[in-house]
Amino acid sequence: MRGDLSHHLEIKGACASYGRIQVLKGVDLTLGKGEVVALIGPSGSGKSTVLRMVMGLTLSTAGEIRLDGEAVNYRNPASLRRLRDRIAVVFQQYNLFQNMDVMRNVTIAPLKIKRRPRDQVVADAKRVLAKVGLADKLAAYPDELSGGQQQRVAIARALCLNPEILLLDEVTSALDPELVNEVLDTIRGLAAEGMTMLIVSHEMAFVREVATRVILMDDGQMVEAGTPQDIFDKPQTQRARDFVGKILRH
Amino acid sequence: MNYTFQWGVALQHLPGLLEGAKLTFIIGFLTFWGASLLGLVMAALKTYGGRIARRIVGAYVIFFTNTPALVQIWFLYFGLPDVGIVWDKFTCMLIGLTLNSGAYLTEIIRAGFISVRRNEIEAAETLGFSRIQQVWYVIVPHIAKTIYPALANFFIVILVMGTSIGSVIGVQELTSQAKDLATVDYRYLEVFTIAAAIYVVLTFVASITLALVGRWAFRVKAKIF
Repeated sequence: MRGDLSHHLEIKGACASYGRIQVLKGVDLTLGKGEVVALIGPSGSGKSTVLRMVMGLTLSTAGEIRLDGEAVNYRNPASLRRLRDRIAVVFQQYNLFQNMDVMRNVTIAPLKIKRRPRDQVVADAKRVLAKVGLADKLAAYPDELSGGQQQRVAIARALCLNPEILLLDEVTSALDPELVNEVLDTIRGLAAEGMTMLIVSHEMAFVREVATRVILMDDGQMVEAGTPQDIFDKPQTQRARDFVGKILRH
Repeated sequence: MNYTFQWGVALQHLPGLLEGAKLTFIIGFLTFWGASLLGLVMAALKTYGGRIARRIVGAYVIFFTNTPALVQIWFLYFGLPDVGIVWDKFTCMLIGLTLNSGAYLTEIIRAGFISVRRNEIEAAETLGFSRIQQVWYVIVPHIAKTIYPALANFFIVILVMGTSIGSVIGVQELTSQAKDLATVDYRYLEVFTIAAAIYVVLTFVASITLALVGRWAFRVKAKIF
């Protein structure tokens, strides 16, 4: 069910800094089960930091993050592990393990971290890799694949953890224009299946199509939030009008 | 050229030369592993250590790479007894060569540490890897693969160049044996030709073995022939 708030991720008043530069200045965001929320905004506005903060790669300096109503303690390894058990992330630069082939990249976490039985994991991996269109690349190494293929492996690796929430950080920004669509198609498929996703993207047409809600960020703050139609067709704030005006002009 | 080769005479020394080759290999092998361990510790200190530790490692590397291994070994063998430290020649040879090679290997291994990709570690972190699992599954394989060619190459350098220094303090490795056996009947040309051939065989076998291991373990696309 889209927008069902019975199960969700909640960010309240989150702040984060890199050294002395404050990159998030109080962010509030909720993600309901089955929702696809897109974060848009200019570079440096803190979109990726929101995702990094949720995954515990960047620690927040204020505010809190709740999962199913329960506050996550990022300094507690057990609490962090429970969160990472349920949320997976795909990065802009794929971040595949270069020393492992596709199959190993996808199966290593379920096998070694979650200790699930091998035949079950392998069957899962094959199914997921077939879903992203890479059934014939199981034995290939990352450096033998195109950017689009590598990014689809990264998505498969995240999916193989059976996450309840998937975070996507500009997953098409590093790809050749021709390869963008194969990755977007994969994400479209996930959205259609009802996967809960928080997406950072510069692909506005895509955001408009798959997002249930869009949040515009600027300078570490949320400027405006609403449905894609609200944000793109009738933005309320001047900042949103400027941003939408600029991106829709080309 | 009116030199008459007398291979028959020289070949009588073959068992002695092979004995020397065996010691050459042993010195090379022990030095390599000792120096690798030393280099690993030094590289870790230089990469992750505090300011003083980094300075000390820096001084070690500069000192040992900027003076000849021969001088270092002579220092140990002829110099140290003056202050009451007496080691036998085999020990001096091993320690000297290990300290010297360790300095080069420090830099080789440090290059591996520096090359670790931050983004792969972050991916491992978000997939739930513990710190130890990150090191074991991601960092170590990456470093091993990155520095393997340089390490393999350095093993050959130690095996051929390094070990032959033993001849100046009388460690009976291949060069030393050749020098001594040649004087028995003054067939220098033949004996050293045979010694050179043995070196070639040693390095050839070592190179092929290392290339095969690299290809099997790290997908290093080394050309063997």
